Amino acid sequence: MRRPSIALATVLAVLGFLLVTAVSTARASKRVEAPRKTQLIKVIQDRRSSVDDLDQAVKELQRQVATAQRRANRRSRDEAAAASRVAQLSLAAGTTAVEGRGVVVRLADSSRQPPNGADTGAYRIHDSDLQLVINALFAAGAEAVAVNGSRIVATTPIRSAGDTIVVNFRPVTPPYSVLAIGANAEQFGTSEIAGRFHRWVSLFGLGFSVHQSSKVSVPAFTGGVAITTAEPAPLPAPAGGAG
Amino acid sequence: MLALLGLLIGAVIAIVVHPTVSQEMSRYVALAVVAAIDSSLGGVRAYLEHTFNDRIFVLAFLSNSAVAIALVWVGDQLNADLTTAIVVVLGVRIFQNVAAIRRRVFGG
Repeated sequence: MRRPSIALATVLAVLGFLLVTAVSTARASKRVEAPRKTQLIKVIQDRRSSVDDLDQAVKELQRQVATAQRRANRRSRDEAAAASRVAQLSLAAGTTAVEGRGVVVRLADSSRQPPNGADTGAYRIHDSDLQLVINALFAAGAEAVAVNGSRIVATTPIRSAGDTIVVNFRPVTPPYSVLAIGANAEQFGTSEIAGRFHRWVSLFGLGFSVHQSSKVSVPAFTGGVAITTAEPAPLPAPAGGAG
Repeated sequence: MLALLGLLIGAVIAIVVHPTVSQEMSRYVALAVVAAIDSSLGGVRAYLEHTFNDRIFVLAFLSNSAVAIALVWVGDQLNADLTTAIVVVLGVRIFQNVAAIRRRVFGG
């Protein structure tokens, strides 16, 4: 056996040192990793169960959303029906400005000087004349009628106060322009009332003309009626601006 | 005897000092240990074959460990796992050395 040198011993000391170090390091890393692994497993399980919970919550919320959606749909359907009914009613009541094909009738007092001793009333347009014309227009199919911008509704009075004609409690001044949507110009022109006025035109010089118009605008009734709070929603088709 | 004493002293120092090795470095240490075991067994074999030489043994020990560490480092740089290759090669050599020692001792 040769002499084992110091160098050999040193090298082997290094080997022993490395061996122990490597083993202890490997053990330590195993010790560190094991709890981390169980921790991670626990975290994963926790997350999984919370995901399940959230899935459950999502399903529940989706169900609630669907229910609320159905309820909202039903409500908006009801509202739309109510709105369209209000629009129809306001159209019928005359509280909506409307426009359409119709007739324009112009009435004016006579420009002639009545001869002495003659009935001066025959040379002027009276409230009864307006009533006759408006009635005849309704008979000819009028749906919406206005006199000098004053809408004729179910409660509209046409009266006279002295020499002035009062429509909807507001005085109107000659010449009188009667707008009637839906009225048939031919039917009105051949009516007995129109014939009467034509006679008066030639006899007394009253102003009376009938025009068919493809677009007549009749304003809304602005006075107070039984319906005071409800306002019709603006309709896209026949309604102009509410006025 | 002195050699075994050296081994023991190294182990005791490691236990007393208790060096901490980072996660990345532990792989290098492990590889160095495997290389060192191989060298040691080679040394024992040479001793039994009467061809043992101190200088050669120390050089082989240090160079084997250094080459193993260098290869692992190169493998890391190339993102290729050379650790397995080194372990396999060194493992085969360890078995060969052990077999040679056995034949020497038991005359197999």
